[in-house]
Amino acid sequence: MLQGKNIVDGWRSLLIHALLGILFLILIGRYYYLMIVFHEKYAEKATANHIRAIPVLASRGVIYDRDGTILVDNAPSYTISVIPIEIKDKPESIERLSTIMEVSIEEINRRIVKNRRGSFAPAKVFSRVPFVKISHLQEHRLELIGVTYSIEPIRNYVTDLDLSHALGYTREINRDHLERFGKDSDYQPGDQVGWKGLEKYYETQLHGKRGFRYIEVNAFGQEIGEVVDRDPINPIPGYDLILSIDSYIQSVTEKALADSSGSVIILNHTTGEILAYASRPGIDLEMLSGRISSKNWNALIQDQKKPLFDRGVQGMYPAGSTLKPLAALYSLENFSNARERTYTCRGSYRLGNRSFGCWKKTGHGKVNLHEAIQQSCNVYFFNLIQDIGLEEWAHLAREFGLGSLSNIDIPGENKGLVPDTRYMNRKYGVKKWTRGNLLNIVVGQGDVLVTPMQMAQLAGVLAQKGVSYQPHFVNKIVAKNGDIKQLNLPEAEQYVTASEDNWEFVHEAMWAVVNGPRGTAKAARQRNWDIYGKTGTAQNSHGEDHAWFIGFSLDKRFPYAWAVLLENGGGGGGKAAPLIGKILRAIAKETS
Amino acid sequence: MTLGKYLRIRFRELEWSTLILVVLLSASGLLAIYSIEIQHETSAGYFMRQSIWSIFGVVLFFVAFFIPRKAIHNLAYVVYGLGIILLFLPILLKNDSAVSRWIMIGSIGIQPSEFMKIFLLIALAKYFADHKRKLATIKELMTPFAMTFVPTVLVLIQPDLGTALVYFGILIVIIFWAGISPLYFFLLIAPALSMLAAFQTLSFFIWMGLVIIVLYFSDLPFWTKVLNFSINVVLGGITNLLWALLKPYQQQRILSLFDSEADPLGAGYQVSQSLTAFGSGGPFGKGLGEGTQTHLKFLPEQHTDFIMTVIGEEFGFVGVLLVITLFYLLIARLINQAYSVKSRFDSVILIGIASILIFHVFVNLGMIVGIMPVTGIPLPYISYGGSFMITSMVLAGLSANMATIRRAVG
Repeated sequence: MLQGKNIVDGWRSLLIHALLGILFLILIGRYYYLMIVFHEKYAEKATANHIRAIPVLASRGVIYDRDGTILVDNAPSYTISVIPIEIKDKPESIERLSTIMEVSIEEINRRIVKNRRGSFAPAKVFSRVPFVKISHLQEHRLELIGVTYSIEPIRNYVTDLDLSHALGYTREINRDHLERFGKDSDYQPGDQVGWKGLEKYYETQLHGKRGFRYIEVNAFGQEIGEVVDRDPINPIPGYDLILSIDSYIQSVTEKALADSSGSVIILNHTTGEILAYASRPGIDLEMLSGRISSKNWNALIQDQKKPLFDRGVQGMYPAGSTLKPLAALYSLENFSNARERTYTCRGSYRLGNRSFGCWKKTGHGKVNLHEAIQQSCNVYFFNLIQDIGLEEWAHLAREFGLGSLSNIDIPGENKGLVPDTRYMNRKYGVKKWTRGNLLNIVVGQGDVLVTPMQMAQLAGVLAQKGVSYQPHFVNKIVAKNGDIKQLNLPEAEQYVTASEDNWEFVHEAMWAVVNGPRGTAKAARQRNWDIYGKTGTAQNSHGEDHAWFIGFSLDKRFPYAWAVLLENGGGGGGKAAPLIGKILRAIAKETS
Repeated sequence: MTLGKYLRIRFRELEWSTLILVVLLSASGLLAIYSIEIQHETSAGYFMRQSIWSIFGVVLFFVAFFIPRKAIHNLAYVVYGLGIILLFLPILLKNDSAVSRWIMIGSIGIQPSEFMKIFLLIALAKYFADHKRKLATIKELMTPFAMTFVPTVLVLIQPDLGTALVYFGILIVIIFWAGISPLYFFLLIAPALSMLAAFQTLSFFIWMGLVIIVLYFSDLPFWTKVLNFSINVVLGGITNLLWALLKPYQQQRILSLFDSEADPLGAGYQVSQSLTAFGSGGPFGKGLGEGTQTHLKFLPEQHTDFIMTVIGEEFGFVGVLLVITLFYLLIARLINQAYSVKSRFDSVILIGIASILIFHVFVNLGMIVGIMPVTGIPLPYISYGGSFMITSMVLAGLSANMATIRRAVG
């Protein structure tokens, strides 16, 4: 072998070796970092990359009446979605969809953006599509690449009953709700969520929990098949609600109320169960839970009869004479001569230079407490209230549940108003209000405001001699497998304490209102059935008087208490009492 | 001497280790392509074709090994000229397809730019072997630069930035190897680094500081220093202008280097998916044919530039390390051989082959894990592709040829 000087300097060779070593060490370091240090992060990413979880919707809980008759269940509904990546280069798909659905291209694109959950996931564009449109879609499916449809359960209103304000409705969830429920919740854009009524109040129980199927997809989002080594998660259906509503009583109530604006609430005063809840005018649940056009919506909110307004719990009205038994009870408890005390009614009462009228212009003459309740004499109570005073009266009214929420299990309740000295001072100024205001208050006028719900509860408290049972719509919440998830047992609370004798006196006087010779509610009278009640005629600034009738029955078969309110209906005795009379007759007839 | 006797003697001199290394590398490439194929039921025939290319490549390895080096030396410029003509062909025959880097012979596409790597290398080796110079003036470097510049322009037209960079990489390493003084080498590569540094203000100023220090301590005439400095400043300054001259996809490829996850469906998409493939492979991989990233087509160019993702996902870090080690052994041996051979021509060819391999391996393995730009540089012996497989095999055969002492020649 030839010995000789190398043709290249040794350092040049070393430098290239060093360069090779450094570059390869960089590579090894980078691969080590990726494949060992961050292995788990990328392993998860790889799984998420090719396995797509397909949600399987949980069916919403069914709503039954007290006897197990279905009021609301679910029916299939067609939903049209588009897959963003597939329509990206296919504007003709959207054009075709636009002509079939008769909705502008811009609107469709707006909905795609709104409901988009990624390039590969279907974005919902139309829900509750009629079947006719779906068959159109089928015919043109070759021109509709990237457009798919699916079947989803929607609310199906099985019953002929109205009950609309109590049941409420579901609507598609909006961004606000989604944010409020938080990221971890089960909700996704496009989901239905309880919007009003029981649907809203019991949303968590009715909703259920979606399940998932796992599908393997390739980079184009094409489904390859079910993933074998990952079990699907089955959806958990929502819990069913079993209401206290009695469909028969509800239907006769609705029939009796007919087209009048107002509310009738009938409850079982020994349990608090709501048996009938009518609030008229009702609402079209099917229309409200679908995609409502702005024309229909505007018509609804501009409707003079205010159909969206749930009179039963939201409506606040002057109570009229229905509150007289309260003052009477106070008198009985606190004044030793209460039963004997008489006042003479000449049709009106003078206080200073103001005159306060009784409903009977000719006057009731000399009346005692019993007669004053039976005949609803204002003058008697004008006199009485001046001995009671505002604070004491307000305290008692609060004990009966006025001025606070009844905690009924539907949302949106109003608590009404019980004026006291502090309130009057704030409203009119200290010393600026007079005894005149006081006189108005005792006959349920002036500043007093109550809801029909509160009045039905108050009637129940009167029937139960001071004990209140928490009013409620839902008796039981039951899972699909029969497990009882919640049982609303009667919940009693002592609201008002008074002596048995005095309660009996009030009952007797209220019996006389219906059954006495001069009673104001003779129209509510039933054969072989004792009805107790009190009429009310509330003057208001919106036109004719509101007609009230509250009452109860102590019959073991019919432990009912009720409140009837007819907006601008006229006199309580003339309009509200006959209405309940009709309902009670129908109930008695059904039972016999 | 009869041809038979020549071949027999030469065969005994064969460096088996080089052949074994490249065969092992080709086998791992075939394994990866096989894995892709067993998963995709509609076979594209990649495995069969690559097998044929590999076998053909081994044959060409021997051809390159047996060709007398004198013939290679004598025909170097002729072959170079033929290569240039071949490079012109795709441009002249330009059909409707946008990328004109292929010559179609029947159904087989040939990429002359790959073969040009060999021809350029041989021509440069001949030049530096025949003209032993100090390489201290621009005039001395004019010819090799021109020889490199012509094919570079031709592939840039195609446009193929990656291959153009390979050509220049060969030239730079050869100039360094041929004995240029460190200072002149620094001055030679400084303008390129100035342009790179100009992408960021701070790095540009630090680099310029370094250039000033080197120039200050050099014994160059004052005006030469000033001229050199000016060139660097001006080139750095017009980088933005040159940037605008790059095709958008080339810009995009360079940009996607910096943030591969930013736009998963754009230029960085492949790199992002590739990272997931490697990362999810973990230490030992998911097993042959079990990779989900590659088989579910998350990686579009999985059988060519991104072939290592299959090995990474299915054989894990261990598999990757094995491949890197094979490459290291191959290249380190080449550098040693380049240092120890006694012929200047052989030495330059050997170091040129080493530089081609270093460039391809580092850029390819770097780009698929996001530390180098996505430039379309395949991985030697492993990536699918006939022209490049043949080129790589010929280079290996050539290196075996140059590295052995020829008793047969006498």
